[in-house]
Amino acid sequence: MAETVATGLAAGAAGRLRLSPAEHRRLARRARLRRELTGWIFLGPMFLCFVVFLLLPVIGTVWWSMRSGSILGGTQFVGLDNFLQLPGVVGAGAAIRNTLVFALLSVPLILVGALAIALVLAGIERGGSIYRFLVYFPVLVPGVVAALIWLFLTNVDFGLFNEVRRAFGALPVTWLGADHALTVLAVLDVWRNVGYWAMFFVAAIIGLPTELYQAAELDGASAFARFRHLTLPLLRRIIFFAVIVATIWGLQVFDTALVLTNGGPGTATTTVIYRVWLYVFASNNKVGFASAISLVLIVAILALTLVQMRLLRGRRGVD
Amino acid sequence: MAQAVEAPAALDGADLRRIAADHARIRRWRRRRNELARHCVLALVTFILVAPFYYVVLASLKNGTEIFSYPPKLLPIPPYFGNYEKLLWDTGFLRWMFNTLFVAGAVTTLKIFLDSMAGYALAKIDFTGKRAVFLLMLILLMVPIGALIVPLWSLVSGLGLTNTYLALILPPLANPLGAILMRQFILGLPRDLENAARLDGLGEFAIYWRIVLPLIKPGLVVLAVIIFTDQFMSFIWPLIATTSDDLQLLTVGVAALRAHGGANYGLWSASAVMSLVPVGIFFFVLQRQFLARSLAGALKQ
Repeated sequence: MAETVATGLAAGAAGRLRLSPAEHRRLARRARLRRELTGWIFLGPMFLCFVVFLLLPVIGTVWWSMRSGSILGGTQFVGLDNFLQLPGVVGAGAAIRNTLVFALLSVPLILVGALAIALVLAGIERGGSIYRFLVYFPVLVPGVVAALIWLFLTNVDFGLFNEVRRAFGALPVTWLGADHALTVLAVLDVWRNVGYWAMFFVAAIIGLPTELYQAAELDGASAFARFRHLTLPLLRRIIFFAVIVATIWGLQVFDTALVLTNGGPGTATTTVIYRVWLYVFASNNKVGFASAISLVLIVAILALTLVQMRLLRGRRGVD
Repeated sequence: MAQAVEAPAALDGADLRRIAADHARIRRWRRRRNELARHCVLALVTFILVAPFYYVVLASLKNGTEIFSYPPKLLPIPPYFGNYEKLLWDTGFLRWMFNTLFVAGAVTTLKIFLDSMAGYALAKIDFTGKRAVFLLMLILLMVPIGALIVPLWSLVSGLGLTNTYLALILPPLANPLGAILMRQFILGLPRDLENAARLDGLGEFAIYWRIVLPLIKPGLVVLAVIIFTDQFMSFIWPLIATTSDDLQLLTVGVAALRAHGGANYGLWSASAVMSLVPVGIFFFVLQRQFLARSLAGALKQ
């Protein structure tokens, strides 16, 4: 080893620095080790949090979902029993149904509304920023506060909705009754999220190539035809992305259901996360069922995430 | 205009100029008409979206009997401030507000550093396991904290952290969105800059601190806004992680006002309005960055 170093130095002394192969390998190995170390030092702190507070809990959900008992201890392994019994457990079926209905009601309304607002907003020449500000403002309202505000809209006696109905001579409606509660909750979600996706679509529309539109206009394409045959196809992937992300968000509804309707009347607005919370923290300790139904939600969300990742990889292939 | 089209044979230069002027006028008129129509539609939409806020502000300035009176007063004259006085002095509202701002501030500050460092590693340093780590982050990106409350609670109480600020600050740090966004931002930087810095003998940390961080400042501001607002709005984890009054966050406290102590619409409306004050201020100051939040989704690609 010492010999090779000596020859290496000798070569250097002779005018040009030339490393012997062994020395070269040694230095390369050291540089590599150093790179590995810096990489992990930079990534480490964040990755540690990620593993402890995200990866570990996901694995923990699987573990807990196969046990039965209380979260405070003394659980026992029951295998897949929780999943087999889940359809029969109080509230589990209703929770999954409510969550799906909520997402199916709110997501299309949000995205169609957002796209419509975005189309109008993107074409505006002056004063766009004030509309953006106002459209976006409900997005920044915490769910709890949004639900409080909606208590004032949906109140039977003095709520805004019924005031408007009375002004038109219609009878007041019990908005938070069993018939309407889930719909009201979905509409609240539209109010809160339409601005977010509207801004998202505005950004996408502004980024579209203007030459195509000028060409279409010269060819005499109507505004609707331009939307149908240019905007929609160009935005296809963006819209698909929005559908998936909005659905994933829709499946997580909890705080508005808790504050606006208390999950009721009965179980009319008890969603999946609401049910998890009830199983574990509000009443009896059904920690196994809580984890099993959480896992159903996690798997659904992971499936949607994978669909989206495939889609984005497809895009990269095309480009 | 119509005449000109019917008689194309007899066109001279003056006719052509007139036609061109007509065209331009019609175009301009049509554009103005479209602009006006757009303004009308947007005014209606924003009116519907904003009306609920006005209704609640109105309610918060009425006393107990005025809220229920019919027909409703559309202007709060004279205004009644009793609801706000009660909220500020008889409930823990100011404490909740402090807690929320403190926790959100702490999470934002910590996450800015952790995420930008992780993003730097993922974008610029080659090390074993990088691809696997990135893939894992992408896969778990959308898993919500609400679906993990059982294991998270047992983990945090196992660590003896229940009813501490740490219990509120640590779990949100796990969210990989920031690291993914920062990787994207740093990948967009020109390679020449850091190569030049490396030739000048700067170490990896110096490159990150002195070259990369200043360059991605706009990205950092957007990230800070995303984290802060998400944290400001978070509810389910703070609801579970704390039982002590002193540690309650704004959202949890406001929900408790609703859940306990009977129907008190005046107090509820005042708490809703006061909760929106910081949001309104931040939004007004950082409007551009807030709107960039919507772009974050697209950037993720």
